Amino acid sequence: MKEINYLKRIFQAYYKQKKNEIPLVNLFNQREFGFIPWDKMVMIRHKNFNEPKDFKNYLINYPPKHVYSSGTLYNNPANPNMNEKGYLGCDFLIDIDVDHFFTPCKNDHDLWYCKECDKSGSGMPPNKCPKCEKNKFQSISWICEDCLHVAKNEILKLVNDFIVPDFGIQENELNITFSGHRGYHLKIENKKIRALTSSERREIVDYLTGDNISYDILGLDNLESDLSLLEQNVDWSQKIIKKIKYLLQNYQNDVLIELFRQPKFGLNNEIIEYILNNKKSFLKTLWDVKGLGPKTWQTFLEGIIKEVGAKIDKPVSIDVHRLIRYPGSLHGKTGFRVQQLDLKQLENFNPLDEENQEIDPIIFFNENQNLRKYKVKEKIIPALKVKGETFGPYEKDEIINLPHHVAVFLLCKEVINII
Amino acid sequence: MSDSFDLVMHYPWLPSIKDYYSDIAEKSPHDFISDFLSKDFKDEIFERIYQIFKAAFDNLENFYYYKIDNSNVYLYILLKILLYLLDNKHISNRIANLYSKINYHDLIEENDYNTYQICKNLGIDIQYSENKIQYGLKITKDYTEKLETNFRIQILDYLKLENNLRDDYRKLVNMPIKDGYVYIQQRRLMRLIQEYVRNKILDKKDEDKPSIKDLKKSLLKIEEFKKLYDKIEASWKEKKEEIQYFEDTGFIETENINLIYPPCMKEILLKAKEGQNLIHIERLVILFFLLALGYPVEEIVKIFSNLPDFDKEKTTYQVNFAKNKEYVPHACETLKSLDLCMAKKYNDPICINGYYIKKRDEYKKINHPLSYVRRRRFIEKVKADFQNKQNDNKDEGN
Repeated sequence: MKEINYLKRIFQAYYKQKKNEIPLVNLFNQREFGFIPWDKMVMIRHKNFNEPKDFKNYLINYPPKHVYSSGTLYNNPANPNMNEKGYLGCDFLIDIDVDHFFTPCKNDHDLWYCKECDKSGSGMPPNKCPKCEKNKFQSISWICEDCLHVAKNEILKLVNDFIVPDFGIQENELNITFSGHRGYHLKIENKKIRALTSSERREIVDYLTGDNISYDILGLDNLESDLSLLEQNVDWSQKIIKKIKYLLQNYQNDVLIELFRQPKFGLNNEIIEYILNNKKSFLKTLWDVKGLGPKTWQTFLEGIIKEVGAKIDKPVSIDVHRLIRYPGSLHGKTGFRVQQLDLKQLENFNPLDEENQEIDPIIFFNENQNLRKYKVKEKIIPALKVKGETFGPYEKDEIINLPHHVAVFLLCKEVINII
Repeated sequence: MSDSFDLVMHYPWLPSIKDYYSDIAEKSPHDFISDFLSKDFKDEIFERIYQIFKAAFDNLENFYYYKIDNSNVYLYILLKILLYLLDNKHISNRIANLYSKINYHDLIEENDYNTYQICKNLGIDIQYSENKIQYGLKITKDYTEKLETNFRIQILDYLKLENNLRDDYRKLVNMPIKDGYVYIQQRRLMRLIQEYVRNKILDKKDEDKPSIKDLKKSLLKIEEFKKLYDKIEASWKEKKEEIQYFEDTGFIETENINLIYPPCMKEILLKAKEGQNLIHIERLVILFFLLALGYPVEEIVKIFSNLPDFDKEKTTYQVNFAKNKEYVPHACETLKSLDLCMAKKYNDPICINGYYIKKRDEYKKINHPLSYVRRRRFIEKVKADFQNKQNDNKDEGN
């Protein structure tokens, strides 16, 4: 409780001090707001504010753990009955979160242990405990520069390879934010996009991810006679060919072997060897590649499509009633700011060690050690590298001193207690 | 034809009908019919309308029916009024299907200028280039074909028109796209407009009409109109007897579909029952599902018999083909990605939450429509056993 009260107070102080710097989302009073308080994990939804000052006062008076606003516009945003809210349209929301895809660093910093038998391991939790076969796990998902870099590259790919060149969306229609934890959000605000139904949004999601691509149209049905996978074609086949060429021209064989062995490719050693031995044919035209049957081609192309496609949280983009973290608010699991960024800022952005103070999400940064002492309550806390310095790993019951920003992070993660 | 007035005469479903024919289009149905009956061409239009209905009841794919003059506008409005009064989804679907197909045959013959004007009239963001733009190549062993077109349609407008069709080759992910526009050939563009026309015929929402019953009562007092109405109704009754109805499928009656089948399948069956056009993938999904449940071929053919483009011979061949191939029915994950999962729409607890397994103290998610059926059958069996037991106890008590 002591910890919650402390975090609540420092969040409150932030909202007080920065109330004039918290941005206003467009069409502010047509949006629904949601808050998760500190004492219970229940979202208070269907809130609405006519005036921005009412919203900011709410943040100060009831400093929440998490703050959200809807991508949806309503006539009556505060009406709790969804059918009576008066739906007007919804921005296109995209959520990229490293939780949803594999990054090699997860094996270094993510942990799980079985609640039944105490068996533990690193990386993402398995489907079943290898010891007792139960599926109740406690997991600790950590962050590091590497995985946040992967997430950043993913959002850059999405914008630079899909949203701008293919969809013709203007930069001023893009609202990009660092989520304050493990990823990035993109909100596209465009009058026409707001009118899309869920199933029309699904079509866009398929385009962004490569899901439901037709292998027939890509020419796999008539491999012997038709060649549809061409770089000249202004469609997904161009993206596929470019990716194949890029991989084969720029990656060393050992890296390619590791990549092709990943589950998304699922190729066996014999096929991998065949591809590597026939690089020249792959780089010329695919007609010159002999010896691969349609099934192997499909497996190979499925892997390439997954490499090309954006790794987005699909339901977020399809659903028209989602809430998304409010820019400028604080993330209750890290104490980091949900940071708005323009495209240029995004390119060099490093959330765990950002040089530009204006966009630094670590707003509780303090070089000095905190005078308080903390006790580790979690079995193990993975190491955290922040602002160029590494803290941890720590073990249960260890007594530690920490700088303010690291203490806030670990308190938000609920892995230490204040002594 | 180079003027949008002429275009509206030819295609009265264009929004500009309100500009050029406001005197007709904005009249109340009663005033419209009274006015229409004073026209010289009324008998001819009555006959054409009747022929359209007959052709639709016979599932004809095309039908030459009009002159491109003012009478065509009257015919369109009259058709909409009749469909409103008949208030029969089977009939509306058949007419919408036929009328839109007739229009499609004309639309694909339009020159570039008219194609552009039609799109503009519909508020579609379309780009026209006098010189064809190449967007790709099709290379086979024997020849190389340039893929090129004069037209590009804005992506979001494309989605609005394409979304009901959802054929693989029309999906956005399979289309050539650049700078916010989809490269599209005239014929495919017009196929999208055909879908717009079909929906326009079916659309009742935007019309602020008195209740059907009152309107019907009032309009059927007009004798000549009543004659036509009765003639169409009689023709439908006669036809209906010939159509093998979905309700007649004895095999389905052995189980309560509403109870046993997952929402995704119920939705497709409902559409089929109402005579709505099923998209290709919906046909495959329901076909593989019913075959997996052991439905006889002839029963499945009966279900498809209500579709606007039903052809018994072709359908029987295709159902038999699928049966021999033993295709595996689509799993929930696939149905979701095809936007055919209806769990949320029907708010189905088993689909959304899964079902409880007492032994393991956990909820198990449903990941296949067949698992859903198995689970539902199990629940129904448990319920029936319980009921029987109760009845037995009562008997013993007596």
